Amino acid sequence: MASELPVANGNGHASQDMSQNQQAVKEGLARMLKGGVIMDVVNAEQARIAEEAGACAVMALERVPADIRAQGGVARMSDPQMIQSIMETVTIPVMAKARIGHFVECQILESLGVDYIDESEVLTPADEEYHVEKAGFKVPFVCGCRDLGEALRRIAEGAAMIRTKGEAGTGDVVEAVRHMRAVTSQINKAKGMSDPELRAYAREIGVQYQLLKKTAELGRLPVVNFAAGGVATPADAALMMQLGCDGVFVGSGIFKSGDAKKRALAIVQAVTHYKDPDVLVEVSKNLGEAMVGISVGKMAEGEKLAGRGW
Amino acid sequence: MTLTQFARPVTVGVLALQGAFAEHILLLRQAANVLANGGIRRDAQWEFVEVRTRGELERCDALIIPGGESTTMSLVASRSGMLEPLREFVKVQRKPVWGTCAGLILLSESANRTKKGGQELIGGLDVRVNRNHFGRQVESFEADLDLPFLSDHTQKTAANENGHTETKSTPFHTIFIRAPVVERILQHQPGAQLEEASKDDTVVAPSREPASLSAKAAMVSEVEILTRLPPSAPSLDRQGITAKDVGEDGDIVAVRQGNCFGTAFHPELTGDARIHVWWLGEVLESVERREGERQIS
Repeated sequence: MASELPVANGNGHASQDMSQNQQAVKEGLARMLKGGVIMDVVNAEQARIAEEAGACAVMALERVPADIRAQGGVARMSDPQMIQSIMETVTIPVMAKARIGHFVECQILESLGVDYIDESEVLTPADEEYHVEKAGFKVPFVCGCRDLGEALRRIAEGAAMIRTKGEAGTGDVVEAVRHMRAVTSQINKAKGMSDPELRAYAREIGVQYQLLKKTAELGRLPVVNFAAGGVATPADAALMMQLGCDGVFVGSGIFKSGDAKKRALAIVQAVTHYKDPDVLVEVSKNLGEAMVGISVGKMAEGEKLAGRGW
Repeated sequence: MTLTQFARPVTVGVLALQGAFAEHILLLRQAANVLANGGIRRDAQWEFVEVRTRGELERCDALIIPGGESTTMSLVASRSGMLEPLREFVKVQRKPVWGTCAGLILLSESANRTKKGGQELIGGLDVRVNRNHFGRQVESFEADLDLPFLSDHTQKTAANENGHTETKSTPFHTIFIRAPVVERILQHQPGAQLEEASKDDTVVAPSREPASLSAKAAMVSEVEILTRLPPSAPSLDRQGITAKDVGEDGDIVAVRQGNCFGTAFHPELTGDARIHVWWLGEVLESVERREGERQIS
């Protein structure tokens, strides 16, 4: 298991320069979400189900990834009216997705007052070279990663929270596991390195040396790291927690299943009691149909969403 | 402060159902080091544990309820069979407890702006909190506050240490994240809670009587206001008009009632262990008092 995120990220007391772009409150909200489940919802009714199930936040979007995958076409930021109706319905934090590189969608979401923006590969990318410069925004950002390089590049751009990309809309947890294991093994590798080796490694994976050094010293990502992409059962959620994730996003897995209420509640309990097999037995019983799912192993590379992002 | 040698470590739990519990454990360890190395309480042995079950709670002498989502914690506590044990711990046994942000909400006897259908509270502090008082995440903020209760403590410990004075007036860097405030201090009488329950969008905690004599002794009727925001601080409720503008005091962000302590902000995010050091001192005094009473009876 990855180690705990130290207070103030090992920077000592929260400093004045941190408060300029509110990095402490941005990363702080992510810390408050830890040990919780963030659920994809497409309307106010689903948002209420998520809130009653104990979700620590909801992700407001027009189509869950499974539908985006099935229906195709360009996936964009959701209608602000729809996001707003969810914000007015629940009291937990509301997140929303913007396309990779689409900083105007981010400006709109910030002005709307969402609590977190997910610059997400699930939507169709708007820029094939650049991600959004996130540090200048007052609203915090979460971004996906497949490995340590991607995670640290996003953090350098100002992301206050990281999640695995996994493979959204499949109900197959294999990619989330692959991405979490990749991050962990690369951090373990960096931990044993001398400074010259770290510099070479930073060049190799395309990240800032200082950020890599800090990560190696901490022995974990310097921000909160959630699992995402393919989590469909309480066991999947507990698996990701035991692999060292700080919490879990569940997208299509809940509202594409037979009994959304029951499954949502079970996954929340599983994330709290992820080390307790007795609880996991109880919450895994009689959940009804899980989402049908697509095996990632049988997918063509071009169909995968995780390849989006640079 | 008596200086009885403890035969056993004092166990401090952090409720680990959801939220920033790991941060509190790290700062508690840091605070225990300060106490041990500062020569104040070298005798005290500490054990810091994450609490997810009734069994884990029963081992604790004191408890921190961390920041996180109060609705999530309340629902998970209820489904994990923890709500009543927590009320027993806080209100019947009156063991020392500290709630930060979401923890403060759960420790309040009354709360408004909760989710539709309300939420379960533990109670313990005769206050009404206004949840998400400042609004959404973009309204989250940081502020350097003077915490007079820390200065009192510093003076006390300084005296103990024969003139080794710490900086008394260094402000505490506070972080408010979608934070609540204490909007009203309630009368410590049953009628006050009934009146609260009749208000729109307001939920109250069920009342529980302190069990033992020592629990009754730990129960005091008065809520102490420990810290307010400066009157010039922004308040979303008043749409840009500050408390200063209307001649009022700033919002209440730290309170104590006997053994029950609450802060609207997050000391666990600052790396500054001063409040944890102060609180562990309070915990020790309380545990010693109880041990003393047990020996007498």
